[in-house]
Amino acid sequence: MSALDHDITHRPDYAMLRVRLQKGQQVFAEPSAMATMEPDIELKAGLRGGLKASLGRAFGGESFIVNTFTARNAGEITFAPGPAGDLVHYTLRGQRLFLQRGAFVANSAGVNVTGSWQGAKGFFSGEGLVLLQASGEGDVFFSSYGAILELDVRDAYIVDTGYVVAFEDTLQYQVTVLPGLRVGSKIKSFFFGGEGLVCRFSGQGKVWIQTRTINPFLSWVYPFRPVKRNSS
Amino acid sequence: MQIEILARPAASAARLSLASGESVTCEVGAMIAMTPELEVETAARSRGGSGGLIAGMKRMFAGENFFLNHFTARAPGQTLLIGPGLLGDIVHHRLESGSLIVQGSSWLASGIGVDIDATFQGLGRALFSGEGVFWVKCTGRGDVLLSSFGAIYEVDVKGGYVVDSGHIVAFEDTLQFTLGKAGKSWIGSFLGGEGLVCKFQGEGKLYCQSHNPPSFGKLLGPKLRPR
Repeated sequence: MSALDHDITHRPDYAMLRVRLQKGQQVFAEPSAMATMEPDIELKAGLRGGLKASLGRAFGGESFIVNTFTARNAGEITFAPGPAGDLVHYTLRGQRLFLQRGAFVANSAGVNVTGSWQGAKGFFSGEGLVLLQASGEGDVFFSSYGAILELDVRDAYIVDTGYVVAFEDTLQYQVTVLPGLRVGSKIKSFFFGGEGLVCRFSGQGKVWIQTRTINPFLSWVYPFRPVKRNSS
Repeated sequence: MQIEILARPAASAARLSLASGESVTCEVGAMIAMTPELEVETAARSRGGSGGLIAGMKRMFAGENFFLNHFTARAPGQTLLIGPGLLGDIVHHRLESGSLIVQGSSWLASGIGVDIDATFQGLGRALFSGEGVFWVKCTGRGDVLLSSFGAIYEVDVKGGYVVDSGHIVAFEDTLQFTLGKAGKSWIGSFLGGEGLVCKFQGEGKLYCQSHNPPSFGKLLGPKLRPR
């Protein structure tokens, strides 16, 4: 199947994906990502890739269900991720792309999205034990809160674990504590709930990072919440 | 140090390119990503500056972290990406002489040669300006990066300028501000929702933020479940 004819508008703050499907062409997306579509596009919800792939996605922080959109006639469909932020397109040609939990938005036919067990590395990153993994041949789209920046790793790069959105499988990674950050981050995680853990990527490949995470915003909003009264 | 500001204004991040031996001091937690030949050190004082414990305590009162992160390049061509926690803008100010007075949480990073300290702007101004009790005072020669809630705009004050409380990011110390009423009468000022405003006098650069964090917080708060 030919590549999806698409464009990404309103980057980086309110990015949206627009796909123009040819007759018979399909696009797969996470539930509730669809914003608008032409009436000749048919929606079907289901477990794509069978039970095992669906379970993998669920462990990877995504929905069990994937929506399939099929064009009965050529038509346009738009997708918008939940958080205000950025959206990126990536072409798979047999290699694999790893995605952070919740980053997946949509893919074309020929691409499989499932969970990938990361073992102890995942545990230490504080981001869950399973990453999402996209493989096959075709288009994949991912999103995040904040803007997404592309880093071209030639030797090594260090990224705060909370800011990793996606990375190519040509890279190796290791979750560690930066020696110098240690004092600060220990105290920081103690008092302010920060993490201070970093992902050290090595090899050659691309890493996508987000410029903001949602947690500082949540901590900032917290004191504005009304205080519960204790009287019955 | 070369500075490039990306993804302005809502989700901005600063990309700093450091030559071998160059260093920069950042707010703790500002680091997003970096190349491996940067040495990180966490301390309570600014590089080469005085202070230590007391400076750290004062910074805490100014709404900043007790600790600072120092990044030093061990090899040429190192890159450091930093950003604030909340959505908002970043601007670069080049400090040549005098000082820059920065609102509590708006200081993000500064180059070597800039000394950072907390400063007290008077009790009246502390209580009614909508800003914190302490401000961060940057003195010396070098680069300063400021962050904000919303977009940042720059005003060249010549004579006088009025800023509503909660919208100040930073100002050069050639400017002085006093608190006053926005309108001619007190009743008019309060009914108009403006209340007290900051009146700047003098000549110098003033950075303002488009949005006021407490206003947004007060809008969200009542809609959330009690804690």
